[in-house]
Amino acid sequence: MQVLEVQHLHKTYRQSGQTIAAVRDVSLTIAAQEVLAFLGPNGAGKTTTIKMVAGLILPDRGSVNIAGRNPHRDPRAIGLLGAVLEGNRNLYWRLTPEENLEYFGVLRGLSRKTARQRGRELLDRFELTHKRAATVQALSRGMQAKLAIAVSLIHRPQLLLLDEPTLGLDVEATQTVKRLVREIASEGCAILLTTHQLDIAEELSDRVAIINQGAIVAEQPTQDLIRQFSGTAYTIEVEDILDDDRISKIQHLGGFGDCVDPKIIVDQK
Amino acid sequence: MNELKLFSAELRRGWIQFIRYPAEAISGIFIITALFYGLFLGAKYVAGPGLQLGDRLDAIIVSYVLWTLVTFILFNTTGTLQNEAQTGTLEQLFLTPFGAPRVFLTRAIADLFIQFVLISTILILISLLTGRYLSFPPALFLPLIAVIMGAYGISFALGSLALLLKRVQQLLGVVQFALLFLMTISTESLTGSLKILGFLLPMTTGAGLLRDLMARQQPLNFTLLGFALLNGLFYFGLGLLLFRWAERETKRRGRLSGY
Ligand SMILES: Nc1ncnc2c1ncn2[C@@H]1O[C@H](COP(=O)(O)OP(=O)(O)O)[C@@H](O)[C@H]1O
Ligand SMILES: [Mg+2]
Repeated sequence: MQVLEVQHLHKTYRQSGQTIAAVRDVSLTIAAQEVLAFLGPNGAGKTTTIKMVAGLILPDRGSVNIAGRNPHRDPRAIGLLGAVLEGNRNLYWRLTPEENLEYFGVLRGLSRKTARQRGRELLDRFELTHKRAATVQALSRGMQAKLAIAVSLIHRPQLLLLDEPTLGLDVEATQTVKRLVREIASEGCAILLTTHQLDIAEELSDRVAIINQGAIVAEQPTQDLIRQFSGTAYTIEVEDILDDDRISKIQHLGGFGDCVDPKIIVDQK
Repeated sequence: MNELKLFSAELRRGWIQFIRYPAEAISGIFIITALFYGLFLGAKYVAGPGLQLGDRLDAIIVSYVLWTLVTFILFNTTGTLQNEAQTGTLEQLFLTPFGAPRVFLTRAIADLFIQFVLISTILILISLLTGRYLSFPPALFLPLIAVIMGAYGISFALGSLALLLKRVQQLLGVVQFALLFLMTISTESLTGSLKILGFLLPMTTGAGLLRDLMARQQPLNFTLLGFALLNGLFYFGLGLLLFRWAERETKRRGRLSGY
């Protein structure tokens, strides 16, 4: 069963006389238990796409369907999705984990009692129970990241949207987030995550869609992608981190690079 | 029923933040009271010891306290929109089956309950300092509701600007003083076509009724109350309409969280 169906999304921004075609004809589907990684350099249109799915940015054209409902029209569609869009920032820093879970639970339509009970379960599961009464600002970056995900799950959504879930996290917190993503998917959630890091996409996703300059340039099962690159591809280590301009030139030539790791992957063919 | 759940969640959220970080609220009370007392002493000094303000002073106190109330309401919604766009929680408030306008309105009303505690403190302090005590007939709630509806209307209109433009700090400063004017002009004493203008200005009729009730011990004028309530409803509706439009426009520009 497809949880998310996105068809022919377009978005052009107009700002001070300039037009930016941020998303051009993006279509994708995700089934329950499936993780789709949206991989591309900065400015490729990942955030714009994920926010159009969440109903937070209005597309110029195209349609979004979450379990058959349109988040731009039907408020019930919003209840079917959870989203972590700004890393650890989408929490109230002056409230405790418990209070955040309860507040956002009610905001998503739960009763206070249910929100509290699920909040306790999530804290327990995410190993945050000992911090339940500390304010969020006193938690480590990694704990905040875990809590942000916990809050997005409080109403048991069918679709989870994660925008750059490991950005700015240390190695340990990155491992934790990866583990959680896999767990949540195996329990039945469909997950759309964006990343500009190839290794994150490789490790977490079932399928990868590579987006560049607003358009999906390739989409395939992650296994195939890895096989394709491991057989005929080679990696060039470069001295400096690549800038966006270089990355897009490399992609134009059929290679792949990102702006975190100083390397380029080129297919021999 | 669902609204009630949301309301009590907003009330808890607001109250927890208030008691956990009381310094901001308390310094606010202090500044507002001190400002009034400064003006009061200044006026006394300029007019000399023979100054007899009597119930005129009471009327000024009513206007001033109303002004602080309305200012609180105005800064509340725009403050939420601006701060939460910065901290990163704003978009989460739009991810709700309640719809954003309902969430912001519910939150604004919950915060008003907390603000009442602060306003009462300011009023008590001013009464103690000036030795003037206002009367509180129960009927005052009717014109108060008219004024508060108008204030929410303007608050949502400014909130629309905050959504679209993100930074509206300077504008708020200007609006705050325009409000002082709206809260203090006595439409009671206007005549002819100016009187009609008085009915059209936001909140002024309701403010005048409150002065009558609390400072001059006059009975409630129901015709004026009708005008005041209509006025409040009009601005409230206008504010909500603008807000819905601004929400859609901001989503079109992709600028909810600021970009
Ligand atoms: N609200 C906006 N107004 C104008 N341009 C925008 C806006 N949001 C994003 N952009 C531009 O659209 C392009 C895609 O941005 P984004 O979706 O954030 O990419 P990504 O998340 O892949 O880095 C970029 O060129 C960016 O500068
Ligand atoms: Mg992005």
